[in-house]
Amino acid sequence: MSTWTWLSTNAAMIRQLTLENAILGLVPALVGLAISVPVGILCVRFSWSWPPVLSVTSAVYAIPSLAIFVVLIPYTGLSNLTVIIPLTLFSLCVLVPNVVDGLRSVPESVRQAATAMGFGTMRRLVRVELPQAIPVIIAGLRVATVSSISLASVGQLIGVSSLGYFFIDGLQRDFPLEIYVAIVLVILLALVCDLILILIRWLLTPWQRSQRAGPRVDELELATAGQRG
Amino acid sequence: MITFDNVSKRYPDGTVAVDGLSLDVPAGKTMVLVGPSGCGKTTSLRMINRLVDPTSGRILLDGRDVQQSEPSALRRGIGYVIQQTGLFPHRTIEDNIATVPLLNHWGRAKARSRARELMELVGLEAGLARRYPHQLSGGQQQRVGVARALAADPPVLLMDEPFSAVDPIVRATLQDELFRLQGELHKTVVLVTHDVEEAIKVGDLVAVFRPGGRLAQVDSPQQMLGRPADDYVEGFIGFDRGIRRLSFFAAAGLDLDFDAVAPEDTTIAEALRAATKAGEPWLLLTDGDGRPRGWASIEQLKSASGQQRLADLPLTSYGHTFRPGSDSLRAALDATVLSRSGRAVAVDEDGRVVGVTSYERLRAAIQAAEETSEQSGERWPGRGEVADQAAAS
Repeated sequence: MSTWTWLSTNAAMIRQLTLENAILGLVPALVGLAISVPVGILCVRFSWSWPPVLSVTSAVYAIPSLAIFVVLIPYTGLSNLTVIIPLTLFSLCVLVPNVVDGLRSVPESVRQAATAMGFGTMRRLVRVELPQAIPVIIAGLRVATVSSISLASVGQLIGVSSLGYFFIDGLQRDFPLEIYVAIVLVILLALVCDLILILIRWLLTPWQRSQRAGPRVDELELATAGQRG
Repeated sequence: MITFDNVSKRYPDGTVAVDGLSLDVPAGKTMVLVGPSGCGKTTSLRMINRLVDPTSGRILLDGRDVQQSEPSALRRGIGYVIQQTGLFPHRTIEDNIATVPLLNHWGRAKARSRARELMELVGLEAGLARRYPHQLSGGQQQRVGVARALAADPPVLLMDEPFSAVDPIVRATLQDELFRLQGELHKTVVLVTHDVEEAIKVGDLVAVFRPGGRLAQVDSPQQMLGRPADDYVEGFIGFDRGIRRLSFFAAAGLDLDFDAVAPEDTTIAEALRAATKAGEPWLLLTDGDGRPRGWASIEQLKSASGQQRLADLPLTSYGHTFRPGSDSLRAALDATVLSRSGRAVAVDEDGRVVGVTSYERLRAAIQAAEETSEQSGERWPGRGEVADQAAAS
């Protein structure tokens, strides 16, 4: 059977599983983002809390995903939630350090100037610090999204459907084409999501687009030669 | 008016940053806090807008204790400029400048038009409005910092080493511009620097701090250069304070000589007569418009044959000139020192010669200025007045 014939006969199923895989990948990344921003802010605000939090995130990241599925099954059954919860935890492990790094990348002079101009703590966070942390946070979000999309296929082992179905099916039926196509689909899905995130970053950070746009106006041309004795 | 009333700042580890500071900053004046690093000058500045709170004592802003004010509201009424500019990298130049107006709910259109006004005021091209801070040079960024601090028209401006990070040429320009701006705006400015030259250049009043956060002397720059309170202040303000102090005396008081000046179409014989009559070893030749051409020595005139024209003589360069109307005695002295003839050429606004001066004449003018200054205990023709005289003449 040629690749094209297989693709066309299974088109509906491919579409369905790609969609499910996308959801299983994106939901953990987005929920992870929603949780990691406040957690990261607290870790920066109360800096004593950051070393233990970092240790915990590293430890959690080391747990095999399958182990967490098994632990969760008695509580959440064979639902999407059983896959989404561990993938969210993994996203947090990537995102929280990035939120912390992003917030810490704001120069002290900028924070101080904001305070001195009359920004309160909350307003300074939302209008000055978070916008500048966006590039680093989105860098983390890209890693979290791509790895969630890829890890989601493991959920097939407990029957939560994703493109992982084709891996297991291809193996059982000794039909490698199915496996190769699914690998390409997972990669394509991850690439598309990554490109969307790059676009979002581009839209949100106009100041980063113009690293070298336009010549600097020569300082001396502007200088009015005021001479005093 | 800002008043420090016996203000101290001690940190929990026992470090004393500021020790019993009492100081008045008169409204509309520029007060420069100067001293070596760790002398408490920046801490003192930061206590005014409550970035640091004092351990004891009070700071009054127009009679009101700043500790009674809500910090954010207090800070919106006080401009703040720092060495590293602290510009928001994610906002355009105009939005950076409009920061405080936007915090004060002016509305975007009004805030931006205010930002454009300020860009013009601080000498930034309108074309830079939509740029981001990293696209500007260091000097331009510092101008944006000043514009941002002035945006909501606060009566008080705090500046913490505002010009330390730019190169000397740009720094001198920015200092001149601050001086010009202050002449228009009359803000109450407190500026921190470690650079004595800067303090003397931009300050109406200079407060010298000692290590340990104590005040050594507060005075006008001219008074401080003339009468440092003690050896510490004298050592801190530097060895050439005598010459620097001449910056505060207008060259208008100089007695100029016009006898040793001759147009270049004069005959050699006449020129020699003029120089002899003036008792001067050098004669300044001028062109048809009265602008300086160069010096001829009396020896040259004597050895020249009667047929030679004055214009054909090899002349000694007149060096750089000074304007009695707007320059100081320091500029006149500098022009004299640099001149090969030991004489400096005074010119008017159009560059026409109004006379020449020599060491002897300068010495007399300096002495007279010193005496007037001693008698009045006041600034003789102080800085503002030098400019006023220039405008009047």
